[in-house]
Amino acid sequence: MTARWFPDEMPTPAASAETAGWWEAASRHRLVVQRCDQCGRTRHPPGPVCPSCRAVTSDWLELPGTGTVYTYTVVHQAFVPALADRLPYVVIAVELDGATGARLVSNLVDAAPEDVEVGLPVEVVWEDMGPELALPRFRPAGVAPSAPAGARSEGTR
Amino acid sequence: MSAALRRPGGRRAVIAGVATSDYPLLPDMSEHAVHGQAADRALADAGLTLTDVDGFATAGFFPMYATGVAEYLGLHPAYFDETNAGGASFEVLVEHAALAVEAGAADVVLVTYGSVQLSQMGRRLGTGGGGGGFAPGPAIYDALWGNTLVGSYALAARRHMHQYGTTAEQLAAIAVSTRRHAASNPQAQERDPITVEDVVSSRLVADPLHKLDCCVISDGGAACVVTTAERAADLPRGAVYVLGAAHATTHHMNLSAMPDITVTPAAQSGPLAFERAGVTPADVDVAELYDSFTITVLLTLEDLGFCAKGEGGAFVEDGGIGVGGRLPTNTDGGGLSACHPGMRGMFLIVEAVRQLRGEGGATQVPKAHVAVAHGTGGMLSTGATLVLGTEAP
Repeated sequence: MTARWFPDEMPTPAASAETAGWWEAASRHRLVVQRCDQCGRTRHPPGPVCPSCRAVTSDWLELPGTGTVYTYTVVHQAFVPALADRLPYVVIAVELDGATGARLVSNLVDAAPEDVEVGLPVEVVWEDMGPELALPRFRPAGVAPSAPAGARSEGTR
Repeated sequence: MSAALRRPGGRRAVIAGVATSDYPLLPDMSEHAVHGQAADRALADAGLTLTDVDGFATAGFFPMYATGVAEYLGLHPAYFDETNAGGASFEVLVEHAALAVEAGAADVVLVTYGSVQLSQMGRRLGTGGGGGGFAPGPAIYDALWGNTLVGSYALAARRHMHQYGTTAEQLAAIAVSTRRHAASNPQAQERDPITVEDVVSSRLVADPLHKLDCCVISDGGAACVVTTAERAADLPRGAVYVLGAAHATTHHMNLSAMPDITVTPAAQSGPLAFERAGVTPADVDVAELYDSFTITVLLTLEDLGFCAKGEGGAFVEDGGIGVGGRLPTNTDGGGLSACHPGMRGMFLIVEAVRQLRGEGGATQVPKAHVAVAHGTGGMLSTGATLVLGTEAP
């Protein structure tokens, strides 16, 4: 069983040559970040050129999947119709352990919106959106999962 | 490099005419008609006609946009430009136009903006824009998680609050001050006075941003005419000089790619524009700053150097950005209250020029000699600063 937070009607990404590796890792529930193999800087979203040294070669650094909330917003008005019945939901920018400077925008789940705060330790939880698509979301570190209101459990991987 | 817009003895770029179209609700006008109305009025203001125009610039949401509007206006310009930097587009276009006339590529550049966004989408005020559409490519990286346009600005606001202790009430003070200015603008979309309490008790759109922290959604347009000081000497209006200009970008549509979420591209464009203009922030009498959201103004005030980083909250309190305050800002009522048709940058230029001409009416800043118009586009992605003045540098 795998928890579902967002509906099937959400748009799906189209991988590019630069992002395919990230999505492929995500489909295997591996959180990776692109790392410049010249200067070592990590960056996100994936792209062809290092914004620090302009090198064009890189590799994928697998991360432990933990981090802290760098900033957040509780969204009260949905601009995507598919999310209208998920309000309010929490969007966070996560500072990822092991990838200094690379932040990931995601969601905080398994927590009440009023419990989110800057600096909150979080850990990754994967949501399988389709056969080859999984999205990393985050929950408070060390908290037992409990699907929030509006979430569904369905299917097995 | 700082001499890009300073050529002693050479051609000097000025703004010789400005105008706004009717706004904020234009159900019977096409987008092109809004351009046309603003163009006619700006040219009339300058004492010129379409036959004098040899350069044209505008920005819209599909390729060859300027070409289409030029055809609508009957123009066959030798110079055209449709650089799109979102909300910063028109500051960039006027910078380019100034460079073009100083280089001799054109003598009279008409810059127009038109939008019927409100009539197209219906009355969905105070939401800060954004339908259900998703941008392609890497832009999906934030949107897949349900982040919204206002959500991105909320992420910046929350981080600023955490780092510097900025409060919701300080952000609200920006909306209150802007609404006070809008009360003197008979065209403004929202004119009823509001209090800090009204703002912080309005519904949350994306915490910590409330409905009244968000701009209105409007129809409307505006235009200006850029020419040389020599040409303007024969024209009816007092010319306003383009003293200096610069623009910058730090990322596209993902806040996750922003180097520092509390520092906007204004931190790069502002100092360069001031250097090119030969003035400092302390010389500025009036500021017209892009106000998609209250946080946009606060970050821009800091990044342009009107106060130190982190001190924007204190700067805007107690009437700090009202007429008579530390830095009168958004004297026409801004996008928060007067008019925001999607890419508001041209309105900033029009109001800055009116202030420098002494045509500001009830919100006129006494002895205004130097003004700044600064546009912000995307998700705090682009910034463009124009420094304007009444006297040749």
